[in-house]
Amino acid sequence: MRLNIYRYDPERGDPPRMQAYDVQPEAGDKKLLDLLMRLRVQDDSLSFRRSCREGVCGSDAMNINGRNGLACLTALDGLKEPIVLRPLPGFPVIRDLVVDMTQFFAHYHSIRPWLINDEPLPERERLQTPTERERLDGLYECILCACCSAFCPSYWWNPDKFIGPSGLLQAYRFIADSRDTASAERLDFLDDVYRLYRCRTIMNCTEVCPKGLSPSHAIERIRLALLQRSS
Amino acid sequence: MRLFTGQRAWVVQRLSALLLLVLILLAMLALPFASPLDFSAWRALAGGALGGPLIALLFGALCAHAWVGMRDIVLDYLQPRGLRLAVLGLITVVLLGVLARVLLSLAMVALAA
Amino acid sequence: MVPVRAAPAPPAGSYCPRARMDKPPHRLPVFLNLAQIRFPIGAIASIAHRVSGVLLFIALPVLAALLHASLRSEADFASVRGLLSSPLSLVVAGVLAWALAHHVLAGIRHLLMDVGIGSELERARASARLILVAAPALALLLLVWGLS
Repeated sequence: MRLNIYRYDPERGDPPRMQAYDVQPEAGDKKLLDLLMRLRVQDDSLSFRRSCREGVCGSDAMNINGRNGLACLTALDGLKEPIVLRPLPGFPVIRDLVVDMTQFFAHYHSIRPWLINDEPLPERERLQTPTERERLDGLYECILCACCSAFCPSYWWNPDKFIGPSGLLQAYRFIADSRDTASAERLDFLDDVYRLYRCRTIMNCTEVCPKGLSPSHAIERIRLALLQRSS
Repeated sequence: MRLFTGQRAWVVQRLSALLLLVLILLAMLALPFASPLDFSAWRALAGGALGGPLIALLFGALCAHAWVGMRDIVLDYLQPRGLRLAVLGLITVVLLGVLARVLLSLAMVALAA
Repeated sequence: MVPVRAAPAPPAGSYCPRARMDKPPHRLPVFLNLAQIRFPIGAIASIAHRVSGVLLFIALPVLAALLHASLRSEADFASVRGLLSSPLSLVVAGVLAWALAHHVLAGIRHLLMDVGIGSELERARASARLILVAAPALALLLLVWGLS
């Protein structure tokens, strides 16, 4: 199969270029990551991140034929050739397909992604009803791969101020949690032209989420929660 | 550069949109019954107790809606602070000018009647 | 049983002092060539919403001037009417009719999605496709209706 891959070597200082590769898939190669692993044997200078190879660690996010996705979850069947691979759009490129996620994680930190509850600790755990637990479905599964934020035009234009779909989904995950008592402060933090309201409901995030989650839906719920609070 | 803050601007945008929708619907319903306008009929409509305020309301909502939308575009595409301020200022002046012109025209007609 | 300790409260203002939220100081390349990105249908509808909004904004001062002139005097009213029936203004009217139709339809779509109607991916895709097709059709209808 033919691939066309974005190459950048910071030590050489040359501008990024595209490099063509031919690689023969072998029996049992089902996903794009299988092919990339064969490629790495052919050319050990090719850099990309990968770890669990089953869509849980979120390391191998990249732009595949113009859309963001995880290499390990993208089936080789149905991929148009040449398969064009580029780093996540809008993220600084460290080398080849490896991008700098510092800013992305800084936004994740900013929404305080932990349970806040100052009430005295119960004897065992803080309990939830099955209904309360259900509200976290579609929110807690995010693996922070950045496919969504790197496909969001609003995040491209204001990556330093807009939290981005991934961070906002995580923010709503704690707002929706019945055990968390800081919803008001969390909403205060989000009520901002940049942090939340840069979203224009383009829904590129939901289009590319490899876990099938809907950050745009979470953002919609945050805006409604803010509206409810102020009325 | 916040201006109008997050939720307030968003609410202004949505409320003005709803108002504009209602006004457009109203115009679409009324237009088939209107006879071809001549100058005096048009002046009577614009200077009337119903037509004047409705036209003023239409342009008011239009300007508020346009301001929030144009501000969003500026915040997205223009990053240098000076350029942002200049373009935002220009947009504000244009919209205030539109509003002033419409209100003046309506007042002119209403006073003449 | 080991008691579970709650996470310590973060310092006010900055939740993670070490994390860098501003742009990285070193110059690294960024891939952001929009021509090489495959945009979903929702993004097409969205950029058209933006473009149509700018067109309507540009039309606004002209509209105000026309309103002003048409109310000023009999002669100005006639010249506005003459201006509107010129061939050039037909083209302008066509573009603006599309802009208005698309902006209104896309706006209704967004207002509905704000309250959770049609905000699931499949239905949002369908409605984006619908307004992209319906807007030119509606514009044509408006234009024909305006001419008759």
